[in-house]
Parts: sequence; C-alpha cells; structure tokens
Amino acid sequence: MKEKKKLICNRCRVELKAQKTYFEYLGHSFHADIPRCPECGEVYIPEDLAKGRIAEVEMQLEDK
Amino acid sequence: MKEKEIIRNTYSVCPVCLKRLPARHVRVGSSVYMQKDCPEHGEFSTIIWRGYVDMSDWIGSVQEMGDEGNPNCPNDCGLCSYHAQDTCCTLLEVTDRCNLNCRFCFADNKGSPDPTLEQIRLWLNKLARPGETLVQLSGGEPTVRDDLPQIVAAAKEAGCKYVQLNSNGIRLAQNKEYLEQLAQAGLSFVFMQFDGTEEEIYQRLRGRRLLEIKQRAIENCADYNIGVTLVPTLVPGVNTHNIGDILRFALSRSPVVRGVHFQPVSYFGRTPGLPEDDMRFTIDELLINIKEQAGDLIKLENIIPSRCNHPLCGFHSNFVVMPDGPVPLSHRERAGEGCCGPTTAKQNRAFISRRWQRQIQNQDGGSCYCSKEPDINSMEYFLQRVKTHGFTVTAMAFQDAGNIDLERLRRCSLHVFDKDRFVPFCSYYLSRWQYQ
Repeated sequence: MKEKKKLICNRCRVELKAQKTYFEYLGHSFHADIPRCPECGEVYIPEDLAKGRIAEVEMQLEDK
Repeated sequence: MKEKEIIRNTYSVCPVCLKRLPARHVRVGSSVYMQKDCPEHGEFSTIIWRGYVDMSDWIGSVQEMGDEGNPNCPNDCGLCSYHAQDTCCTLLEVTDRCNLNCRFCFADNKGSPDPTLEQIRLWLNKLARPGETLVQLSGGEPTVRDDLPQIVAAAKEAGCKYVQLNSNGIRLAQNKEYLEQLAQAGLSFVFMQFDGTEEEIYQRLRGRRLLEIKQRAIENCADYNIGVTLVPTLVPGVNTHNIGDILRFALSRSPVVRGVHFQPVSYFGRTPGLPEDDMRFTIDELLINIKEQAGDLIKLENIIPSRCNHPLCGFHSNFVVMPDGPVPLSHRERAGEGCCGPTTAKQNRAFISRRWQRQIQNQDGGSCYCSKEPDINSMEYFLQRVKTHGFTVTAMAFQDAGNIDLERLRRCSLHVFDKDRFVPFCSYYLSRWQYQ
C-alpha cells in the first residue's frame, strides 16, 4: 500500500490536517475534508481532487 | 387600438402549399404573432408568444437569420451546409403501427409494412457514430414489434451510446418479460407519453383510460432500473390545468422518473382540426403556468432557454431531488458562466443522457452516503445524489405549417434518419393544412 505523504505548510512548517473546508461555485456551497494548515489556514487541494471531484461538481452545476 | 410593431424578420412556409415565404414577428399589444402572405393562398397569422415573459429577453443574443440560408429550405430538407447545429438525438421510426388511435399524433399511421430487422440494422450502422449517438426508437408505437429487443441490441452493436425508447407505455405495463428483454438488450431510458394525472385527460386525448397503465409502466421500469422521462402533450382546455400536478407526480416518483419533458401541442400529422390561436400553448404560457401551478417547487429563474436548439424551441432546468423537494442546479442568470461557451449538440447530449439515464448508487465506486444524514452541501453526497436523483424539467415546442420559423429550424438538433439522410424533426413531419 502506498504510504500517505505528510504535507507541511511552507510558511508555518507544521503538518496540514484534513479539515472541513467550504467551496463556492456558481452560487452553491459545498464542503469536503481538505488538508489545511492549523496555523495559517492555507489549504492544499491535491491534483486528483481538483481534476476529479471538484471538476465533477463543476460539470454538474454548469449542467451542459 | 393596439399598437403593432414588426420585431423580427424570418422565413416560414405557406400552410396550404408549403411554399417558402418571408415572415415576420409582429408584436400586437403584449402578444407576438407570426405573419406571412402567400401570393396564392393569402395572409396567415399565428400566435407565437403571449407576453407573459419578455420575448426579446428570452431569445437573447441569437441573431436574425437575415437573407442567408438555403433558398430551397425547408423543401427537400436534409442537413445542408446552411444548417447551424449538429445532431444531438437521432430519431428512427421502426414501425408505423400503433396500439392507440390518438386525436393528436405527429407520426400519423400510414399503414406501411414494418421495416425488417435487417433493414433497421443497416440504418443503425449508417446513422451511428460509435460511442456518441443517442438514437430514439420511435414510430408508431415501437413496442408493437416483438423484435424490439433485437433492435435495441442492434443499436448497441452499431455503437450507439444511448438507446431511447419513445413509447406510450402500454406494453411496458403489461409485459414485464418484454421489458426485461429490452433492459438486457441495453435500453438506456424511456420517453413515455404521459398527458396528466387525471383519467379524463387520457379519455379526451387518447380515447381511453390510461393512467393506471402509465403508473404500472413506471413501476415496471423501476424494477429494471430504466429511467423514465414523462412527456405530456399540452393541449389548451384539456390538460394545461394539470401541469403542476404532473410535476408533483413526477417528483414523487424520483428516482425512476428522471424528469418531465413538456411538448405544447403542434398541428401536424393527425390533429382534430386547424388551429385557432386559442388552441395554441406558447412557451411563455407554459412558463407562467409552471410558476402559477408549481411555483413552490420550480422558479422561473431556474429555467433556461434552449441553447442547443433555438430559444423559442424550448427550455431546460436541472434539479437534484432531496427528500423534502427539488433543489435547483440551473440558474438563468448564471447560465453560460463557468468554462463552457455556447452549448453544442454534443454537450447537450451528454447532459440529457446523464440526467435521463438512471444511475444506481455507487455505480462509479463513489462513497456511499446511504446511512448518513442527507447533506446537500457535502461534496460527496451532492455528487452521489445528483447522479441517482437528478431531475430535469424540459420543453420542446414542435413547429407546424402555421408557425414554422426557418431561423429556428436551422438550429434544430433533433434529426430524423430516413433514406440515408438526417432531417430536422419539424421539417420531416411538416404537413400541409387541408382546408375543408
């Protein structure tokens, strides 16, 4: 099994933790658990999430 | 006296001889009429908009067709270099026969013998773009054919991505074994004639009681996981009062019912008489009736003018059905935002197929939220729910010899395949009016 890499905040040098994070798109608000820096709040959106679930949400809302 | 104003110029045909004629949209008070003059048969005027919604605003930036276009349009019609839209759905008639004898029918039985399965297979191989085509098996009533499952299988073998059945639902209600064979052959979804929630409506439009049969057909389709879109033909004075109840019925049957596709009556094929203006039901009249009869469920701001076809041809709206009602996903003011530009036939096909085909939970390996509280704001739940419980309210206003507008026809994406040609639906079924 692939070992999960630790993600470190570049600014605060602390480990990111998965936290409920809100997104807004075309007037709809969604939440998902996303790695976030507990100190500065910066979030990291992994490529697979951006190209996967988030792209899917966009497609469903753009509806065409 | 009401003020008259020409607001748009286009082309149409004479309803008597079908000769191509210049035509104009004339605003009289708040209503808009299509007017045209045939040198031989005189002047014709048909209502096309009643002014409940601003027509110019609804049409948006779509340009007038001007003098361009095929001078022979719509005679000898097949897709030509002037046609402005690709094929979204391809309709193929597989029989002329029907097990009903309706007052209104665009196809009108001509009594021709059925094409053979082999002939249909050849047509399917010609019309299919593998991995893309959405074919609508139509008629007549396709389910009068015992070999319809083989036709569905042949469509899949030809590479059709989606196979839609246009049906009155009678055989689907009465013969589950037949429905199972259709499902196993790869049927994607059913477009089911559904004119209302009252038997009186069927009695008047179809000549017999059909509501229980429709309900059973829906239940049977649920058993085989086949999505059903309800298709009411809206006739003033017959079922236009029932629009809200049709929507409520459809929503109560989600997820097997995937949406409602309204078709305001048009006068081609078999109709009981020539239409006066009060026999027409315009798109804006439909919109105002949705607002008045089902405004608690569906708001006009969620309904978007057609972008794949001409805006005057119809609309679409997109919802996800939650336990306490539909949540709108489409918003007119936001339509066109995001990364997509104008809607292509391909995009439209992807959208309607995604919505009309029933998808079972976790088909794509997504997370299961069955045991958790429904939370539409959760990205995972939303993505799952929109697949399983997506719902559309759409409309298409077919054109007849009285109101055909060649500007609209040029943007048609529903094409009938016949004699190796793709023909826009409304020119294929265009029939001249016979004056008594």
